[in-house]
Amino acid sequence: MFSLGSNGGKYTKPSFVSYVNPEQKGNDALQEKNPVFLPGEVVFCSASPVLKCTHDDLLEGSIMGTLFCTNFRISFVSDQVLLEDVVQPFRNRLYGENDIPLTCVDQIYGDYDEKRKLITNTQMKNKHPNGIIVHCKDLRVFQFSLKLAKEEAAKKIFQGIVRHSLEPKSLRCIFAFSYCENIAGAPETQNKPRTLMFENIVDWMEEMKRTKGNCKLLEINKDFTISQKVLFDRLPQFFFIPTNVLEKDLAAYQGKGVPIWCWSHHSGCALFKTASLPLVQEESFLRAQKLYMERMLNAVAHNYLYAVKAVDLSETLPSIQDIQQSYSRFKQNFLIDNIGEFWISDMKWFSTLETTRWLSIIRQCLHKAVEVVEYLEKENTNILLIEDGGTDLSCVISSLVQLMLDPHYRTLTGFQSLVQKEWVVGGHNFLERCNHLNNKDKESPVFLLFLECVWQLLQQHSLAFQFSETYLTVLSDSISVAIFSTFIFSSPYQRVSSMKTESQTHGSLLNIPSVWDWSLQFDCKSQEFLFNPLYREKSKQEKTRNKNQRPKPIRQLSLPNATPPKKYFFKEETESLRKMLRGTRISRWMHLSDSAQASVWEFYNAWQQKPLDYHGLLLPDLDGPAIRLWMQRYLRWIPEVQIFGGGDITLVNKITSLSQELEELRMELEQQVRQADPRCKSTETVNKSTIRMSCFFPFASCRSGSFKPAIPTSHCDGEMDMGHLAEREDEDTELTDNSVIRGCAD
Amino acid sequence: MLTGPKSFFKARQRVPDVKDRMLSHGSSDVGDKGTLGLRLLPGEHILQKAVLVRKKLPCREGGGWLAGTLFCTPFRVAFVPQDDLKRDEDTDPILLEDHDVALACVEKVVAVGPSRMKVMTPTSTLKFVPEELLLYCRDFQVHGFLFDRLTPEAQAMEITCAIAKVYQPLQPGALLTFLNAAFGSVEMRQRLSNRPRDATMCWFDIASDWETELERTGATGWRVSSINHRFEMAASLPRLNVVPQKVLDTQLKNTFAHFNEGRIPRWCWHHPSGSDLLRMASFKNNIYCERDNVRNLEALVFGSGQQCVVVELAEEMPTLADLQQGHARLRALCLADESAAVTVPDEKWLSSLESTRWLDHVRCCLRKATEAVCLLNDGLQTLILQEAEDRDMNCVVSSLVQVMCDPYCRTLAGFQGLVQKEWVVAGHRFLSRANYHRDREKEEAPVFLLFLDCVWQLWAQFPSRFQLTPEYLLAVHDSAHLPLFSSFLSNCELERRRRSKFLQLLPQCYTPVNGLGKGLPLTAWHALPDPPLPPVWDWALQYSSARRSRFTQPMTRPDPPPPLVNGSLNTVKTTEEAPASVFLFSRGTFTSPSNLLPWREGGGTGLSKRSLRRDPPSESPLAPDWLLKAWTLAENPGSGTLIPQLLAPCVGLWKDCYFRGVLQVQAFRHPEATSSHPVDQLAREVQQLMEELALASAVGARGLGQVGLEPSSTRMPTAALPSMPPYTTWTSL
Repeated sequence: MFSLGSNGGKYTKPSFVSYVNPEQKGNDALQEKNPVFLPGEVVFCSASPVLKCTHDDLLEGSIMGTLFCTNFRISFVSDQVLLEDVVQPFRNRLYGENDIPLTCVDQIYGDYDEKRKLITNTQMKNKHPNGIIVHCKDLRVFQFSLKLAKEEAAKKIFQGIVRHSLEPKSLRCIFAFSYCENIAGAPETQNKPRTLMFENIVDWMEEMKRTKGNCKLLEINKDFTISQKVLFDRLPQFFFIPTNVLEKDLAAYQGKGVPIWCWSHHSGCALFKTASLPLVQEESFLRAQKLYMERMLNAVAHNYLYAVKAVDLSETLPSIQDIQQSYSRFKQNFLIDNIGEFWISDMKWFSTLETTRWLSIIRQCLHKAVEVVEYLEKENTNILLIEDGGTDLSCVISSLVQLMLDPHYRTLTGFQSLVQKEWVVGGHNFLERCNHLNNKDKESPVFLLFLECVWQLLQQHSLAFQFSETYLTVLSDSISVAIFSTFIFSSPYQRVSSMKTESQTHGSLLNIPSVWDWSLQFDCKSQEFLFNPLYREKSKQEKTRNKNQRPKPIRQLSLPNATPPKKYFFKEETESLRKMLRGTRISRWMHLSDSAQASVWEFYNAWQQKPLDYHGLLLPDLDGPAIRLWMQRYLRWIPEVQIFGGGDITLVNKITSLSQELEELRMELEQQVRQADPRCKSTETVNKSTIRMSCFFPFASCRSGSFKPAIPTSHCDGEMDMGHLAEREDEDTELTDNSVIRGCAD
Repeated sequence: MLTGPKSFFKARQRVPDVKDRMLSHGSSDVGDKGTLGLRLLPGEHILQKAVLVRKKLPCREGGGWLAGTLFCTPFRVAFVPQDDLKRDEDTDPILLEDHDVALACVEKVVAVGPSRMKVMTPTSTLKFVPEELLLYCRDFQVHGFLFDRLTPEAQAMEITCAIAKVYQPLQPGALLTFLNAAFGSVEMRQRLSNRPRDATMCWFDIASDWETELERTGATGWRVSSINHRFEMAASLPRLNVVPQKVLDTQLKNTFAHFNEGRIPRWCWHHPSGSDLLRMASFKNNIYCERDNVRNLEALVFGSGQQCVVVELAEEMPTLADLQQGHARLRALCLADESAAVTVPDEKWLSSLESTRWLDHVRCCLRKATEAVCLLNDGLQTLILQEAEDRDMNCVVSSLVQVMCDPYCRTLAGFQGLVQKEWVVAGHRFLSRANYHRDREKEEAPVFLLFLDCVWQLWAQFPSRFQLTPEYLLAVHDSAHLPLFSSFLSNCELERRRRSKFLQLLPQCYTPVNGLGKGLPLTAWHALPDPPLPPVWDWALQYSSARRSRFTQPMTRPDPPPPLVNGSLNTVKTTEEAPASVFLFSRGTFTSPSNLLPWREGGGTGLSKRSLRRDPPSESPLAPDWLLKAWTLAENPGSGTLIPQLLAPCVGLWKDCYFRGVLQVQAFRHPEATSSHPVDQLAREVQQLMEELALASAVGARGLGQVGLEPSSTRMPTAALPSMPPYTTWTSL
């Protein structure tokens, strides 16, 4: 590991001149408590002693330590080294529980004499606050008290933190660049099911072959030469278009309006997306645009000669700004400095959540996706998704549609390929939407919205997904860790071009790692949590059986010999459904036309009657009670809602351990049979460490630090005891019990 | 009003009417069985039937339809699926098959026509041919039957009218009719009286059950008193009560007058830490003249402890009216009843749920119970739950405390014993609260259902700590709506016995004995015939064995016995030679009002001052939080205590129960991953493999390995994950 010595700074590079000079003196003091730095990480400033307060008003306690601000993170290093040694089952290799990556900072509040003020980058006050409260994008809340630190150091650290986490900066300042300069090109591990990156033709061809589509590959943008001049810069390097679209059509509106292939249904009809044409006033242009669009639609319709349906997303779905507003209200419910706030909101909890409308936005997206799925699956229509930029909600909808229709995307690598195809290469503007550069104006959690929708699907059909809830949570966290190439660029063009210039200045080929390389963040054991233990791969048998059965999946109603033709059933059902719709629960389908309502409804019902196939079509349940709160992501840091020794995780864990045991027994049995060895092997009982888990299991370990008795004099011993005991469960209950009681009594 | 045929005791009635014959011509496989596979109870007969009916399956059973025949009998609406193959003719018929609806459970009959729908009442006539028949039930279920075009129109109309006629809208007298329809026949009576009582659970109507319970919990200093064995002391109390050993029956006699309805403090449960849980009604009759009497009262209240905390349940708990209203709103919300005209758009779902306040009530009970658990855990004190009548919230809280603390109460037998002890025998007014007779609106309140919901919350938070499953809770929930069982058809033991005419036998059987716990000659008890009304716990009467097998889940690791909690505070308490002190715990704080124990008036103040000083939480307004936090930190996962989290995000809605009726919406098709079945499967597979391994090593030792074991090893799947059936198969089991 790269360690920061007096000579080891890369901060002398010209691109970092603007930084505050790192603390030079007191290096020896720092050395013992330095956090483990990542390659390329540079300390800007530090302050000591700083108190980290836990937001627990009753057993108030705080930890003494040092606060660092580096070019990657704000890091708090506790004076008690032991706390770090506590075995955590799930640890991130890049940052610990007391680290906040700079890009992960959401808001900073200053504590000015009991008054809390939001710090914005514009007002850089000379007067530094007594303490700072950091709200993170992964919903952690930190409170640091700067009272004990020296005046100068406190001011410096405050300014450093504000400057590096709130002020607008250039792309080059993102840590990933200095990180990748300092790591050796990661050895490409070729796993068997590999995540398709869609950065070369092979991946695209493979995908087209898998879905059996029939579209034309375009290499015109290969070097992004046109991207700069002719085409708008969101277009991927390679993409498929309907066979009837000509290359010269691309140039007409800089590539806008050109249907770009997303996915092909097994029937042949396909899903396309496009950016809508620029708004014009003049009549003649308007007519030209109209003609152009008609031609494009015709071209789409030529795909297997299915009908075409254009779905305009900008009209029917909430706008990007709505999403941002709703989310910022929503997350506020979980960013809690003081548990008292939570108790207050408790009584009105449900209605508070409802007024943010976040859940209803999720419902709308899922609903729109179901609609599109219906067109593809039932009516076999080609679909063209149209959206203003073509890279936000159309990504959400197209990925959701593919997730519902294609079981391949419900595997881990499949899902990653999907994100790669639709989002990363598809040109979603991660840089601005995630606000990595602190230019607030275009921020909007669109990708998170997608993950939310996936989570809803996942919790409704947990057996259908190879990845777990934890995977989605971790992925949502990774968005705000600016190390992965996946989430820091606004378009593939930007990625390639900036990497090119970067490599030129550096003199060798640079490679920013992708987020899909999970070994960067987690060790092997932790990576297990990303998989769903209940997922079962489709067996060979099933595959072939299904192929044969394909045409008639609808369950026959076993009425006596005179079974009426199915058509009749359908018709009748539709009528009664219409009736029902008129009577009651009409709300959900309100914005659809009458026939569309019934048709979506009918589609839904038809799907419901079939036996559920986890490797087939999967539709979400959109009812009020079915759309739920993503507890693991939003509530994991709030100790008051953690159920210790309970929650669903206990069952999942039980299943995991049982299946492990099974595996071992099986192996043993095989061995026994093979060698008929009378030597009795000591049966290793899989004693899964019975950590005291909470319902947010992989994440709740921070609990150990949150209950500290407020004994200022002997807090050292107390904390160590507590940390251990909370972690190592029940060996000494009485000790824990007593010390708490004593702690409270004091 | 009963309008059905009066001849209940006729044997099977087979009147193959013309239409029936006509139909049996059309379809070949129908003709041979007159009842089309319907298994009638003794004495039951078919009033009406309709063929070629499709039943809408609720979402949790996979959705879709099932084709079959619909019957109406005086007791139930029965539906027999066409292709129901697996039918054991040997087993006794059960009261309600999987698709059957008891008439007494039906709340509303709605006929849906091509252009209109009509709520059917016994007097209403039908002017159109219904396409669909909807039965709204009291237990949150809705059954929908679709009449096909092949269903003879007359049949569709007739069965709708027949059901509308014989279903019993709640009214005085309807209950008896229903009971007669179910159990009226001689054969049925015979069968019921021949059913043995489940000997594995405690019924708490004989002294040995109480003694077992005392022994199991490790309580000392208590005895079973049979002073009330003829219900002369307190009519609503059970015959047997557990009181402190030092209070003799003669002394006990005088204390009844000082409590509301004579419900003196009685022992419920003993916490491993040494505390005892008691319950009592409010004080009455404030004249305390005899010194002896006061001493007895004190002894009763303090039990074996030095310190007594009275937890007053009236103040913070929801009132009966609150409960009733909350439940009614929840019902309206979840059923989305067409005629109720309240439909909630999905966006408003959460706030509508909030406004029912049902979840608040649930939380409130759990919170109270949690506080009680924390207090009990402190050790060596007596905790008394006090409620004006000691017959509603006391039942909820005391039993919740036990579910939370006592792993045994989370097993099937333990839970049944618990309900028997704290509800049935203790005199919860099941009959009044259910209000089957529709004559006492004010007394109706779903207290027991609230308790079940609370238990479900605990289950949802700690699924792996229960032996019983939500399936079981659901069965109890449904049975509570079925006016068939002695457990739920009386307000107290006395009534129950009167009903079973058992009381008439009393004078011949027993001589009043004042001795300790030997009031009952056991042999005499067993010789007596069982009452005609079965207890609810006789599940074999109600459910098929397939369903019953899903009532429990395997517990892979039995909970170790709870360790004694050792706290320094406890020792202080015992050593101090102070007169017993009493506190009131209310609104999260301790107080010591002078008139807490009415007989102490005057002398109580000095006492309370001293005790205030000694009790640290009394100074802190955050006592419950403090207790809770100290507890969650100190909680030992092995100790078996469940402390639920009660903040709003942690409390869920019992969807499997409340959303069953929603046919139109696709809610909750698939059970959540919390279900235990995969675990069950895996556990079984592990078991099997272990056996094979043992066999293999045995064979291997003899050197004959390969030959014998080849087939068994090939049988096993080689996938990375063990084979388990996909969810669909077991949900539709």
